[in-house]
Amino acid sequence: MAINEKVQEYKKILDLFPNAQEKYQYLIEQAKDNTNFPEELRNDIFKVSGCQSKVWLIPQEKDEKVFFMSDSDALIAKGLVTLIASIYSDETPEDIVNSNIDLMEEFELGVILSPARRNGAFNMLKMIKDYANKLKNT
Amino acid sequence: MSEFENIKKDFPIFEREVNSKKLTYLDSGATSQKPQSVIDAMNNVYTNTNANVHRGTYVLSAETTQLYESVRSKCKNFLNAYHSDEIIFTKGATEGFNLLANSISKKFLQPGDEILLTEIEHHANIIPWQMVAKQYKLVIKYITINKNFSIDLDDLKQKISSKTKVVSITGESNLSGLLPDVKLIRSIVKENSDALFILDGAQLVPHRKVDVQELGIDFIIFSGHKLLGPTGIGVVWGRLDLLNELEPVSGGGDMIEEVYYDRATWAAVPHKFEAGTPPYVEAIGLGAAIDYLENITMEKVSQHSDMLRKYAQDIFYDLDRVNVIHTNEKFAGCTFSMHIDEIHAADISLMLDTYGVAVRAGHHCVQPFHRKLGIDATFRATGYIYNDKNDLDVFKDALMSSIEMLG
Repeated sequence: MAINEKVQEYKKILDLFPNAQEKYQYLIEQAKDNTNFPEELRNDIFKVSGCQSKVWLIPQEKDEKVFFMSDSDALIAKGLVTLIASIYSDETPEDIVNSNIDLMEEFELGVILSPARRNGAFNMLKMIKDYANKLKNT
Repeated sequence: MSEFENIKKDFPIFEREVNSKKLTYLDSGATSQKPQSVIDAMNNVYTNTNANVHRGTYVLSAETTQLYESVRSKCKNFLNAYHSDEIIFTKGATEGFNLLANSISKKFLQPGDEILLTEIEHHANIIPWQMVAKQYKLVIKYITINKNFSIDLDDLKQKISSKTKVVSITGESNLSGLLPDVKLIRSIVKENSDALFILDGAQLVPHRKVDVQELGIDFIIFSGHKLLGPTGIGVVWGRLDLLNELEPVSGGGDMIEEVYYDRATWAAVPHKFEAGTPPYVEAIGLGAAIDYLENITMEKVSQHSDMLRKYAQDIFYDLDRVNVIHTNEKFAGCTFSMHIDEIHAADISLMLDTYGVAVRAGHHCVQPFHRKLGIDATFRATGYIYNDKNDLDVFKDALMSSIEMLG
């Protein structure tokens, strides 16, 4: 599924929840289902800066496509990074670099996706694009 | 009727809802809400009298200058200072610390001199000292904090010596609510050194009557925005003889007496420390905030804080999984930092927000002490004059539901 389609799918799901609390609960469920992150990789190299909690995002390349593993020590942030990782996984570096979807505009996720200066979500997306860009140019 | 019964009506922000819930604001330790009178005072300047201060020989400038300079006398009375000229306006408490650290080091300190802080200082009372310590080869020492989050006086006695030239400590901890016994600490410092004594009043001044003469301190720093006033304004009070000796650290307009192409002489205290156009509208807002508090009286403000604190202790202590970082000293501020077993503070504060409850999550600019406690982050509730028992009940219910949801 293309990045845009995945975003629209998630948007549909998130729109089903009428308020921030239920949206957060959905993210918590996503976080609880995401259990495959290797303990030893919870290190500074893969840490996303600017998050209130610790967030890790690890890119991997397989068959010319990019996959992301993600984790956080906070549940709501972990749910968010799980969702973002799933949107950009199984995609080519070109598709990631070329996608110009504004998640902050698409998803109404209250304060966790607000365009604040020290926004962790912004840094998660930047890390994904930077990695894809690096792969594209090699 | 108590002064506090309908007090929320004076603060327009409490008319709004957050996430379809009534706002329960418990983050006054970060910044306070503003009464209408403060907003009106600032509006009045921009609407009716605005002109740059100390400059123009025309009515508007004279009126604005008068309003601005009258706040100095308000601050002088508020702190029971000796003289209005001892009040220096800064853009905030942080700038105040940077001003004092730089000016004191430049004038009074030699390589090897020691600066004594405590382990629970706000970063604003650590970083400026670290910066000057590097520049002037000074040594920083930290007084240990006891298990009940109070200052270890034995450790203070051990660390203070004739080498100690500056002691700078918090008047009220922004983490545990501790109100150190300033007079006692001051007397220990005086007996063992000739150090200058600086009090961080950022959390203390909004909540308690501070009498600088009675405390016998040399400097106190506070910000306007934690005291019902606007952002962009802070105060450094210092003893006049010391301020006269200290050199300015920022140069520019308004702080000069005579300027030549190769040199300049400084204006008298306090203006020599206030380079450039001062934040006069913000200062006038601060004046209105002080009027508002003095109208209630600081005695009643502190009684209200004590009442809220005791109620919070009743309802938050002994809750399952809830760890409260709060001093168990008899007197303390209404500041409660907490962490929940197995749940991140950021999750708690996001969940509380969905109930309209605003608390702060993070290290609250006290990172080294969080590290010492072995905790990444806490969430912190602070009460102020517009909070009541109901706010704490709403917070507690929201906290219990949040814990349940976060598992």
